[in-house]
Amino acid sequence: MGPKAMEKKRKVQDPEPESDDEIAPDFDGALSQSEDEFDSDFDDDKEHEQDGEEESGSEASDDEDDEGSLLSDDIPSDAEGDKAMGKLVLEDEEEELRIEIPGVDPKRPEKDDGEKNYRVEKDANGNERYVYDEIDPVYDSDDSDAQEAPNTIGDIPMSFYDSYPHIGYDINGKKIMRPATKDALDALLDSIEVPKGWTGLTDIHTGNPLNLNDEELELVRRVQMGMIPNDLEDPYPETVEYFTGIEEKMPLSAAPEPKRRFLPSKNEAKKIMKLVRAIREGRILPYKPPEEREKEEEEVEQYFDIWQDEVPTEVNPLHIPAPKLPPPGFDMSYNPPAEYLPTKEEREEWEKLDPEEREKEYLPHKYDSLRKVPGYGEIVKERFERCMDLYLAPRVRKNRLNIDPNSLLPKLPSPSELKPFPTVAQTVFRGHDGRVRSVAIDPTGVAVASGGDDGTVRVWELLTGRQVWSVKLSSEEAVNTVRWRPSKDSFILSAAVGEDVYLMVPTHASVTPALDQASRDVLSAGFGYATNGQTHGAAPGKEPPAKWARPGAKLEDEGVLIRITVRSTVKVINWHRKGDHFATVSPSGQRSSVAIHTLSKHLTQIPFRKLSGLAQTASFHPLRPLFFVATQRTIRCYDLQKLELVKVVQPGAKWISSFDIHPGGDNLIVGSYDKRLLWHDLDLSIRPYKTMRFHSEAVRQVKYHKGGLPLFADASDDGTLQIFHGKVPNDQLENPTIVPVKVLKGHKVVNKLGVLDVDWHPREPWCVSAGADGTIRLWM
Amino acid sequence: MPKIKKKGQAGAAKNYITRTQAVKKLQLSLPDFRKLCIWKGIYPREPRNKKKVSKSVTASTTFYYTKDIQYLLHEPLLQKFRDQKVLEKKISRALGRGDVSDAARFERHAARPEATGKPRYTLNHVIRERYPTFNDALRDLDDCLSMLFLFANLPSTSAVPAKMIARCERLCLEFQHYLIVSHSLRKSFLSIKGIYYQANIQGEDILWLVPYKFNQRIVGDVDFRIMGTFVEFYMTLLGFVNYRLYSSIGLKYPPKFDQLKDENGAELGAFSLEGVNMATQGETQAVANGEEQQVDPKVQAEVDKIIKQLKEDESKSDETAEEDAEADDEEKPTDSIDKFEPVAPGGDVLPQPAYSGTDPSQLFANFTFYLSRETPRQPLEFILRAFGCKRIGWDSVLGEGAFTNDESDPSITHHVIDRPVVQAATSEEGDGEDNQTAQKVGPNQRYPGRIYVQPQWVWDCVNDEELKSPELYAPGAALPPHLSPFVKAAPGQYDPTLPLEAQQTEAEAIEADLEDAKEGAEEGSDIENDMDVDEAEDDEEEEEEDDAEADAEEDEEGDVEEDEEESKTLQRQLELEAELQGKKVQNKKVDPKTKSKLEHRKALEKKAKEEAEDLERAKGMLSKKKRKLFEQMQYTNNKKSAQDEKLRAKRRKLEKEKAQKA
Repeated sequence: MGPKAMEKKRKVQDPEPESDDEIAPDFDGALSQSEDEFDSDFDDDKEHEQDGEEESGSEASDDEDDEGSLLSDDIPSDAEGDKAMGKLVLEDEEEELRIEIPGVDPKRPEKDDGEKNYRVEKDANGNERYVYDEIDPVYDSDDSDAQEAPNTIGDIPMSFYDSYPHIGYDINGKKIMRPATKDALDALLDSIEVPKGWTGLTDIHTGNPLNLNDEELELVRRVQMGMIPNDLEDPYPETVEYFTGIEEKMPLSAAPEPKRRFLPSKNEAKKIMKLVRAIREGRILPYKPPEEREKEEEEVEQYFDIWQDEVPTEVNPLHIPAPKLPPPGFDMSYNPPAEYLPTKEEREEWEKLDPEEREKEYLPHKYDSLRKVPGYGEIVKERFERCMDLYLAPRVRKNRLNIDPNSLLPKLPSPSELKPFPTVAQTVFRGHDGRVRSVAIDPTGVAVASGGDDGTVRVWELLTGRQVWSVKLSSEEAVNTVRWRPSKDSFILSAAVGEDVYLMVPTHASVTPALDQASRDVLSAGFGYATNGQTHGAAPGKEPPAKWARPGAKLEDEGVLIRITVRSTVKVINWHRKGDHFATVSPSGQRSSVAIHTLSKHLTQIPFRKLSGLAQTASFHPLRPLFFVATQRTIRCYDLQKLELVKVVQPGAKWISSFDIHPGGDNLIVGSYDKRLLWHDLDLSIRPYKTMRFHSEAVRQVKYHKGGLPLFADASDDGTLQIFHGKVPNDQLENPTIVPVKVLKGHKVVNKLGVLDVDWHPREPWCVSAGADGTIRLWM
Repeated sequence: MPKIKKKGQAGAAKNYITRTQAVKKLQLSLPDFRKLCIWKGIYPREPRNKKKVSKSVTASTTFYYTKDIQYLLHEPLLQKFRDQKVLEKKISRALGRGDVSDAARFERHAARPEATGKPRYTLNHVIRERYPTFNDALRDLDDCLSMLFLFANLPSTSAVPAKMIARCERLCLEFQHYLIVSHSLRKSFLSIKGIYYQANIQGEDILWLVPYKFNQRIVGDVDFRIMGTFVEFYMTLLGFVNYRLYSSIGLKYPPKFDQLKDENGAELGAFSLEGVNMATQGETQAVANGEEQQVDPKVQAEVDKIIKQLKEDESKSDETAEEDAEADDEEKPTDSIDKFEPVAPGGDVLPQPAYSGTDPSQLFANFTFYLSRETPRQPLEFILRAFGCKRIGWDSVLGEGAFTNDESDPSITHHVIDRPVVQAATSEEGDGEDNQTAQKVGPNQRYPGRIYVQPQWVWDCVNDEELKSPELYAPGAALPPHLSPFVKAAPGQYDPTLPLEAQQTEAEAIEADLEDAKEGAEEGSDIENDMDVDEAEDDEEEEEEDDAEADAEEDEEGDVEEDEEESKTLQRQLELEAELQGKKVQNKKVDPKTKSKLEHRKALEKKAKEEAEDLERAKGMLSKKKRKLFEQMQYTNNKKSAQDEKLRAKRRKLEKEKAQKA
């Protein structure tokens, strides 16, 4: 259906609704009905008609409607005495005439006059004919419940429409015009005579004054009183008394009163007698004195001297009295000295902390006068916490050592008393390429021998640091260790390179020819014996433990005279004090790891068929025929004469790196790769006497001073040497005193290796150390 | 084969008992158990090894000695608790049946202990058990007094009945009366938490805290049932202690209590002490009166007259009393120092030791105090009375019991006032007119011949046992700091009363001096900067140099260990300084004083370094256990000394600021 068609239809029907529209206001104005009722009725009518007849209003009709409604609305409010009135009335009359033809207004006859609801017409015969108005059944009345909001603008402030003549739109999009405001006279009249149901409010939907009728007022009243809004039924009806004491004129039963109504009850008499008896016997008191409870409660407690016959009892040792709270300090004063007041930062820090974490529960504060001091808010809580502590905190007696902490420290002799000991690096020997693995001072204390990664053995003058002799023993393998033969009548150096042990005479300017010759004799003396001995000792077909041979012409020219080849890499050489025997240790060589060589016979023996653990190092006892072998965890002591195990020393270290025996023979120091230096008293225990953990890295080498000074040193991978004063008393009962005296720093740590070897001067308090940084240092 | 020992049959497992087990064993509810523990003074113990003690899977937290709990088994109170429980059960059962009358009967009967009713108990035997001697009780009085004084100041609620508060208050006031009479109060301290008092009774020092008179804020997580249990015990204890104390000085306990006066806020004044022998006298008198009814009217009149006179004497103003006292002084030759006062104006006043040799308990004996409206009356009254003051007047707002309510009373010698000085223009006019006749004086007006002090004066006098100079405490004056009298001066600890120079370490002093010197130099350079503005570039350079200098200094502070570096930086600093000064001030050389100071500092640092090295060596020789202990001690000591140092630094700064202002 096109819009055009709709328009046409509308145009045809337009006049009628208009007229209908305008009828009602007339009545409205003319008849003094209760306005709201009427209005709503009328509105309904109008809407229904419009609903039925047109889908949407055209602009033209809207305008007309507007005018009409505007005019019509004017009438009721203006009431009477207006110029416009007459004009309007005229119009109305015209309309009335028009209306008469199509239909009859249902209300009109009732309103005008009840009886004359007919007209007299003449029929075709000319007789009078009563034509009655049609009765309007008012079908649409059912819908009046679903009352729609006449104004559709929604919940917006009415002030938006202040500048317009209308106050909104109805459901059909038509403007709802603003009712004309009353003039001053009307307002006065209204104020004098308050109409019934007057509220003074304005219905925002219509703009008319909002009045309430009786029913609505009643409703409001009931809501205000908190009653049920509609009084459909009375919630509290009058009781209907079915059984009353009032004698009915017409009783329900006609039976005569029974006899028992006139006789006393036996049962009750029994009960009463019971009570009487009880009262007689005094079981029940007929009269009870009034409550004394109040009085009793107010009774003052009786105090007396509870400690009249006090006997002081012994305090139970298990009883711990509650500690008293500490007295307040200066900072708790209401007016503390200014230095106790917190700074801004301290205050912020305090406030930031949790109340539990705070060191003090209060913050010092200064009040310049006593009257300004406020109450302390936490006092009840603090007291409660004290109560909880008294009742619930376990009490433990703690012995507080109220002593000066310095009294705990042992009385150490001052370093000046312990002197001499090395303190500074006197000489630095440079020349080795790569690490210097081993260093040794010769028995005379003149020369220093060293061996390093470059495969050379060098001999230096101790004091000057001048290199006096050097030989390259191997181009691939490093010199693992160098040791001097401990005798002053010869000048023999031993060095281990790989599986070979070389014995040499490093001849240089300071070595006299006689000494040189003597040394060469000592070395060569065994050759004759060796050939003999080997034929005797070694079983045929069995490989000898070592091969003693000359190293070749080139080396012999240099002064290297003997090469002993053993089965695996030699790491340690240790000489017997007499200089005839020396022990080599090659940790990787399973059964033959420890070998004892006899120089005079060119003989090598393997003392252990089996060894528990990997041998690390071995050493001869300085005085007695004892032999010490260190495995990873233990040090075993063997008697060389009886050929038996004497003792197993357990330092408790994870991996022993080295050990040294005190020249006195009763004490032992052990260095371990787990950073420890341990002192053993062999007579005392197999466990260490002292454990010293001053290094941050592994301890590589430990050495006693052999020339009578109570010193020992250790070398560590942290690049330091530590010098200790370790005095072993002559008295057996006294314990040795050990005092750390000096940390010697100087070597650099290269690839996590620091100082690799250390050796003492035979007489002076000097020591040399070999470092992974390629230097040798003399400390004195 | 030896007998196999079962776990948990002997040793620690038997010696300790958990709380749940204890409650079960005693057949009590937990609240009753708590009460019993509080009253009997039984507290949990910490076993050496918790695992060995507890058999349960979950870790128990509270252990008691089994012996303690066994000891509780024989407690008479236990039976009372059980009776109470039975009664409660009966009542609740009756109520459950809807038998209200029965329940009411049970409850009613509870009032009569003999009718198997409510178990009435006293804690007398508990007091005797816990404190076999009186001195034991005194030793434990700290908490008791703090608690009761707190409760005396609490508002009454359902948890804290008004009756309990009233009783606490009464006991506290009675105790205060004893202290006043026996002069055993020693010290008092105004803290931010409240007022601390210390008394010495029979050689025991007792310290307690009294909150300021404000409505106490009660925080949510406070269980007043527990507090109430403590208070119940403490009330009984203090009652007996009071009895003993009163009887020890020949007074009757409880003292006469005037309800009416108390309601009018008389507090201490509501009690009137009676001697025991007085009471007996009264009794004998009564007996005598009974024997011979007819008394000679003449004698009676005379006695009345004497009594009247006595009363008058008592209530009379202090003028006569003072005169008497003065007269007494004149009579008796004393070895105390006489007071020299200038007779004619113009002479210098020489300082004299104030009132030395007097008994501290009679410190305020000759004075009449008047307490201004804004001062705290209760503590002031108590403390003044305890130190011998007999006459204290106050504004009628502060309650009854004052010696006088009239501010203009001429007998008043000291006026405690805590008001700010109001700068009123009218005071000038009013001053000139009439001092004598004016009933009300203006805000700033003073009665002549009276010493006006702030309340702190009283406390400081008491703590120092001498009368302090009232000028320091004049109204509106900035008060000297109020120091705690309980802090014992320990060597090496910071003491605010001593001058800074006496307690700072050498290093600190040198550091401070150097700083001063540097600041002085900077100021000098600043001045010069102002003078020659055109050398802007130079100035900038100088600033940079300053920065460098500061950096160098920081470096220096940072690594003291590196000796070489230190010397280098020091040298550099010196060079920079020299350069700076050489550039700016040609004629000015390095101050020899600062130089020597610097050297001194260097020497000190070196020494400290050596000491540290020695310490390190010695520490190395300690066993692990001892080393730990040593380090712990060192830690706490260092913490303390760091705090002290901080205080000294703050004070130095404050003093410097003060000096600059001056």
